[in-house]
Amino acid sequence: MLSIDKKTNGSARIFIYFSQLMDREVVDKNARSCGQLYDIIVKPTQVYPQSSHLIIREGYPNRKYAVLAWPDIEEIGEREIRLKLEKSKLIYKEQHNNKEELTLRRDILDQQVVDTANHKVIRVNDIHLLEVDHCLMIAHVDISFRGLIRRLGFEKVVDFLVALVHKNAGYLKYEQLISWKHIQPLSINPVSMTIKIDVPQKQFSNIPAADLADIFLDLNSQHQLVLFKSLDLSTRSRIFRGIDFRAQKSLVEEMQPKEVAEILNSLPADEATDFLEKIPADVADKFLNLMESKQAKRLSQLLGYSSDSAGGLMTNEYMAFHKDAPVESVLAQIKVRVFKTEPAQFVYIVDEVNHLVGATNFRRMMLAVQQGPIQNAAFPKTYCVHLSSSVKEVAYLMDKYKYYVIPVVDENNYLQGIITVDDILSQLISFAWRKVKKIKAKAAQ
Amino acid sequence: MRLKKHWREFLIFLSIMGPGMITANVDNDAGGITTYSVAGAHFGYALIWSFVPIIIALVIIQEMCSRMAVVTGKGLADLIREEFGVKVTFYAMAVLVFSNLFNTISEFAGIAASAELFGISKYIMVPLCALFVWWLIVKGTYKTVEKVFLAACVFYVSYIISGFLSKPDWNEIVSESIHPKFQFNKAYLLMLIGVIGTTIAPWMQFYQQSSVVEKGIKLKNYKYSRWDVIAGAFVVNLVAIFIVIVCAATLFKNGIRVETAKDAALALKPLAGKYCFYLFAFGLLNASIFSACILPLSTAYSVCEGMGWEVGVNRRFREAPQFYGLYTAIIIIGAAIILIPNVKLVPIMLLSQATNGILLPFVLIFMLLLVNNKRLMGKYTNSRIYNIFAILTIVLMVGLSVALLFTQFMQ
Repeated sequence: MLSIDKKTNGSARIFIYFSQLMDREVVDKNARSCGQLYDIIVKPTQVYPQSSHLIIREGYPNRKYAVLAWPDIEEIGEREIRLKLEKSKLIYKEQHNNKEELTLRRDILDQQVVDTANHKVIRVNDIHLLEVDHCLMIAHVDISFRGLIRRLGFEKVVDFLVALVHKNAGYLKYEQLISWKHIQPLSINPVSMTIKIDVPQKQFSNIPAADLADIFLDLNSQHQLVLFKSLDLSTRSRIFRGIDFRAQKSLVEEMQPKEVAEILNSLPADEATDFLEKIPADVADKFLNLMESKQAKRLSQLLGYSSDSAGGLMTNEYMAFHKDAPVESVLAQIKVRVFKTEPAQFVYIVDEVNHLVGATNFRRMMLAVQQGPIQNAAFPKTYCVHLSSSVKEVAYLMDKYKYYVIPVVDENNYLQGIITVDDILSQLISFAWRKVKKIKAKAAQ
Repeated sequence: MRLKKHWREFLIFLSIMGPGMITANVDNDAGGITTYSVAGAHFGYALIWSFVPIIIALVIIQEMCSRMAVVTGKGLADLIREEFGVKVTFYAMAVLVFSNLFNTISEFAGIAASAELFGISKYIMVPLCALFVWWLIVKGTYKTVEKVFLAACVFYVSYIISGFLSKPDWNEIVSESIHPKFQFNKAYLLMLIGVIGTTIAPWMQFYQQSSVVEKGIKLKNYKYSRWDVIAGAFVVNLVAIFIVIVCAATLFKNGIRVETAKDAALALKPLAGKYCFYLFAFGLLNASIFSACILPLSTAYSVCEGMGWEVGVNRRFREAPQFYGLYTAIIIIGAAIILIPNVKLVPIMLLSQATNGILLPFVLIFMLLLVNNKRLMGKYTNSRIYNIFAILTIVLMVGLSVALLFTQFMQ
């Protein structure tokens, strides 16, 4: 709190655009010219990175660069930047790029970044800096058309012309500034081939999976791969679930088989199967061998069924309990179990050899006698489908009995898995699309 | 076993093929066909040898674009913006818009000319084609659009067939191409400059790189992408050679002089028969529509990449308003100017050549700097020998394009 008070009372807070600082004259303490401001190195230690070094450029055409620490700056003036040092103290070199650091001109300005607030990939037209205690902090990035015009040096002219036509034009009034806390830069470290993700793992985890996948598909292939590798497993598996098969395949081609297996482990069984059944069988086997044996077993079982039958659609992640188990112990077991997906609201009741006996839901279980066997809480009747049932049959039954989830059994009534409504829906939507296209084609004839 | 492997490689090549083939084929646009017809009609087979250096230049330049696209995953305008800043990009894009607009106008002129050859009024044909071209991109996805473009490439075969229909003397063609007879007179040199100078235009580098990026070709499949460029360069020049042959075997033999592709087609009718005439006219129509589609598309890609707006054929109008807006505007302006009665095309051609000539050196030099940038390209930068050839090609192309500009202004 103290530091905030100091800021407001002490030095004034001023915003400045990086484009206005770029190429500003730099002079030493005796007012001798040292060159122009070329770039600023920032320390991404806080939410808002702070300037740590200044890069000065001098000479043409043989350009030389000098790097100096921020405390050596006396003042950032309107016309020129004054240093505390003498020019002779500066060391000019041919190269200035220290690859590890984040710099404004090279890594942010004009580059593509991810806007995690609006779920978009954007290009930075300008950087909005905040001057606090002689230090500069990245406050916002500017993505507006006006930012472009400013960079071209026509801001005043265009502002004047726009004001002539329309005094309160949106162009003048609204600034398209995006707070740095929502920005994830995409500059790739050339040595480790990773993208530095500072605060934002949290931000990525707040984005719904489908939007995350959309952002991801907006990136170019190199950025896709590097960003993907830089993220944590749960974000990676959320992205993987959201993108289409083509994008999945091109990612997998660039990854180690072990990394692929790791992602497949973390996916819900039916989605992992969807992917595996589309790639060549020998490659799929290679991944299965590297996976946790339990998940691998499940998947290879699911892979045996044709993809448009109930067996191919189902997942074998479901909750089933013995019919004599007391309700309270069932609830206790559900509480401690870890699920990869939000499991459906239904609990299945089976006998000793996994024959399907019935089904129940949480409401029925809570209302039932807690010490009594779970089969007392079952629905009066449970409908199920067979492994070989077609998509249409499954959809018909689910619609008829208003089920969100339907159990799948084999010919001996052994419980094999469940099909949830979202799996059916995606099948039906693609079916409906084909139909709409056909109708449209007919109408066009 | 080996055969099977080759077959598989060929299938992969077919799936990768597209950007290089399409970009190269658009080089045979309305303007190109005119140049080659005139070259054949006025100089016979004496200029056929010049297609060898053209193929080499085309491969060298376009291969660099393709490589940059695959390695960096970014378009040329993207890279120029990221490495050279917004000012350079803005002015380059401004010139590119004008250059491509003028080129588009001349494509619509080609559509109008071929419509008249078929006896259709240009006031019907030009708006119809403009609408078709617009609808294709706005409603299509990258995949469908590419298929249509590749089909358009196939239609260039019409020139090869018409070449055979014109019954040329093959022995003469072979001997003329192996022992080229240089003529050191003004007309021959001007024609030579015209033929080679139109080969490389700035939009081609932008378009090729963007479409390779949008196709999402992987580094491990890069060799197929290179074949795509090489195959494209060969196919386009084969077609060009046949255009020269058609005109040489008929018009040159009979001493008929022509100024445009339309004149050439009309003059063909009594000499080579009506099928040859129809094929030639159809080729012109196909080439003009095809190019009238690609040029605005290339402009929209480049400008939106450079300015940081949403890009892509796979998006809808509302998702990428600048992209489709620019595309639509260029088509409308291009078609509208051709519909002005008695419009003079010569100044437009001059402007097109002038803007090309101004932009080309910059684009090629940027490309050379970018492709040799270790930070972007890693180990895929140019080798020293490649650089020597690339610099030679660039100097030659820039020189020729400036020379072309001068010759046109002098006329």
